[in-house]
Amino acid sequence: MGTSAPIAITGMGCLSGAGMNLPESLQSMFRNQRYPHSPRRFSTDHPVSYPVLELRDEFKLPLDNQETVYARTSQLALAAALEALADAGWTAESLRGKRVGVCIGTTVGCSLNCDDFYRAFKANGAAGNPDMGIIQRFLRSNPSAVIARQLKLDGPKQTVVNACSSGTEAIGIGASWLKAGACDIVIAGGADELARVTYAGFSSLMISDTEPCKPFDLERKGLNLGEGAGILILESAAVRESKKARGYLLGYGSASDAHHLTAPHPDGTGLKRALTEAFTSAAVTPEMISFINAHGTGTPDNDRVECRVMNEILPGVPFVSTKGYTGHTLGAAGGIEAAFTVACLQRGELPASIGFATADPELAATPVTENTPVSGEIALSESLAFGGNNGVLIFSRGDA
Amino acid sequence: MRMAIQGIGITGSFGSGVASFRAALQTGSDRSALAVDDSPRYRAGIEGLDEFIPKRALRRIDHFSRMTLLGACQALKDADLLAADRSRIGVAIASGYGALNTTFNFLDSYLDFGYSCSSPTHFSNSVHNAAAAHVSIQLKTTAPSLTVTQFEMSVPSALLSAQQWLAEGRVDQVLFGAVDESCEVLNYCREQFFGAGEKGPLRPFAFSEQSAVAGEGAVFFVLTRADHGANYGYVDEVILGNHLVCPLNLPQDDLFIIGADGHKECGSFYAELLNGRAAAAYAPLYGSFPAAAGFDLAAAAVSLGDRTLYASSDPVSSGVTSAIAPQKLDQGQLACLKFGSGGDYGLIRLSN
Repeated sequence: MGTSAPIAITGMGCLSGAGMNLPESLQSMFRNQRYPHSPRRFSTDHPVSYPVLELRDEFKLPLDNQETVYARTSQLALAAALEALADAGWTAESLRGKRVGVCIGTTVGCSLNCDDFYRAFKANGAAGNPDMGIIQRFLRSNPSAVIARQLKLDGPKQTVVNACSSGTEAIGIGASWLKAGACDIVIAGGADELARVTYAGFSSLMISDTEPCKPFDLERKGLNLGEGAGILILESAAVRESKKARGYLLGYGSASDAHHLTAPHPDGTGLKRALTEAFTSAAVTPEMISFINAHGTGTPDNDRVECRVMNEILPGVPFVSTKGYTGHTLGAAGGIEAAFTVACLQRGELPASIGFATADPELAATPVTENTPVSGEIALSESLAFGGNNGVLIFSRGDA
Repeated sequence: MRMAIQGIGITGSFGSGVASFRAALQTGSDRSALAVDDSPRYRAGIEGLDEFIPKRALRRIDHFSRMTLLGACQALKDADLLAADRSRIGVAIASGYGALNTTFNFLDSYLDFGYSCSSPTHFSNSVHNAAAAHVSIQLKTTAPSLTVTQFEMSVPSALLSAQQWLAEGRVDQVLFGAVDESCEVLNYCREQFFGAGEKGPLRPFAFSEQSAVAGEGAVFFVLTRADHGANYGYVDEVILGNHLVCPLNLPQDDLFIIGADGHKECGSFYAELLNGRAAAAYAPLYGSFPAAAGFDLAAAAVSLGDRTLYASSDPVSSGVTSAIAPQKLDQGQLACLKFGSGGDYGLIRLSN
């Protein structure tokens, strides 16, 4: 594949357990604060309580009728999209007549795993009186369709469901629409709510930590789930005109391990290929990378493989896992971490990788342990996912 | 960028393989809808999968992914790529709902036995990209993999990405598929929403009536750049939009295969847009499900390959739009038009 012109990022929005918008999230991270706790929005009879990172209770979803119209995931996507559009100087009205695409990654947001409905359905079908409103809400709540519908957009829409790399893939795909001339503007990123189903699922896989997660640490036991959304506004040069960019998307790569449904390839073959593709498309070399926003879930397997690949391809490059602050937000993670990567380039500083304390002798590198100045203009964010999907985005500092 | 269709794999209630599908197009029979609990359903089988994948490897793979694997393997075989290097074959799958039965099996595991008994196998197979993962694991495809869920717009949306992969040179071939499965819970929901309409028969041209009947199946295509000819014609253009935000103007010279599948909500859009123009519809051959837009695309591809547009399987005219007469396709251009809820549309233009 060839190289292509950088894609301007003119606005960003982000909400997570670290904060209700991007500035607040960055403030928490650079203060090295995190807020894990037991789930507040659902309960289970599981004998073990795993900490999660939820949005604070005072967070208000963007629509007046809250979760009765759209599922929480779509509301989170919409909230981050509105923040990002405002950051880029767009209103819904000013987008009229523009070719605006929407590409959003998610996992929970597209799963018909409505267990409140299903519990009633199991209790004797119609006699169980399941609430069909839950299903109607699901059918209204495809995340990219919700954003397009609320903003009355006419461009292409795509909801990517590549598990934990969905947000990263969505941004790469959105950029390809701009390169192909299919859009003037793309709203791209990821969103996912915290759900009882994924909470139960990850506990069944025994990859959740009973304590706040410790990415890349010797004592790491697994991940903490989180929720949120991260959205970038990508603009063509023709639409952007003289508007300054917060950053540029230089390259994107993705590849498959073809190895296992839930475990990464032990040699990280898919991640290496995704990195190679991203470097080629960005026309940069590994030596030009100033830092890595690692996937860094805190599971033994992920961190071992990711560290091995980083040490082989990007030796000595500082890296951070921000999942200690946000939890693993699944389909949202790639969007949230893309926003963090661009914001850290812009700020010229990297937050400490919270949760890391003791180096694992099996890992050849350690993340940054304190807030660290960024020396350079280019950084990358990488995502590894169930199914063996790997996605990589390369960004450069903007001029805003 | 133009894409060439080099191979097709397909399983639906008519059987599996292009020959079965072609036979269904030729006969126009809708007898494949089977009565289940007094309601018809279109069910797809997986016969022939063990020709490609050892049974042992299928032990923990669910019906959704087995249909996926069957379609993918057949498409590779049809394109004569089974023995080829697969390191530059991308996998793109469109599905409206994903692996529904496994999703509910996972819920069963904790609702029946408590959260500490949640099934890790059901959980990992319920993730939407599990089917694409099984394809890449079993067929050793290491290039990009993508799963898209956009309800009725899943197929045109995912096809847009397949087109970009080829245009950017990221892959040399794309295994592009569309899959959905029948599910007791979904069928219950459909009956709650549509009532007696689910009793059949499915009548795509009765635009103002609810006649949809649930179906399932998988269809795959091997897509390449258009450098070296095509076995089934070419995809020229993929267009997505919303007719209510920016009205769609249909190309004047195209013949249309419409995705009308007995859903009244979408029927009015077909009636308005076609405005008396004749069109073909084949939903009575495979039923109503989001991924059926991929079956419409297969009907177009087979028609282009055979240079024959087959008769619609429901000849009943709405009085506004009629079923198109069977005809030769020597130089004609076909287009698959699919409407979703709220005016969303996908238009896929093809030619031979």
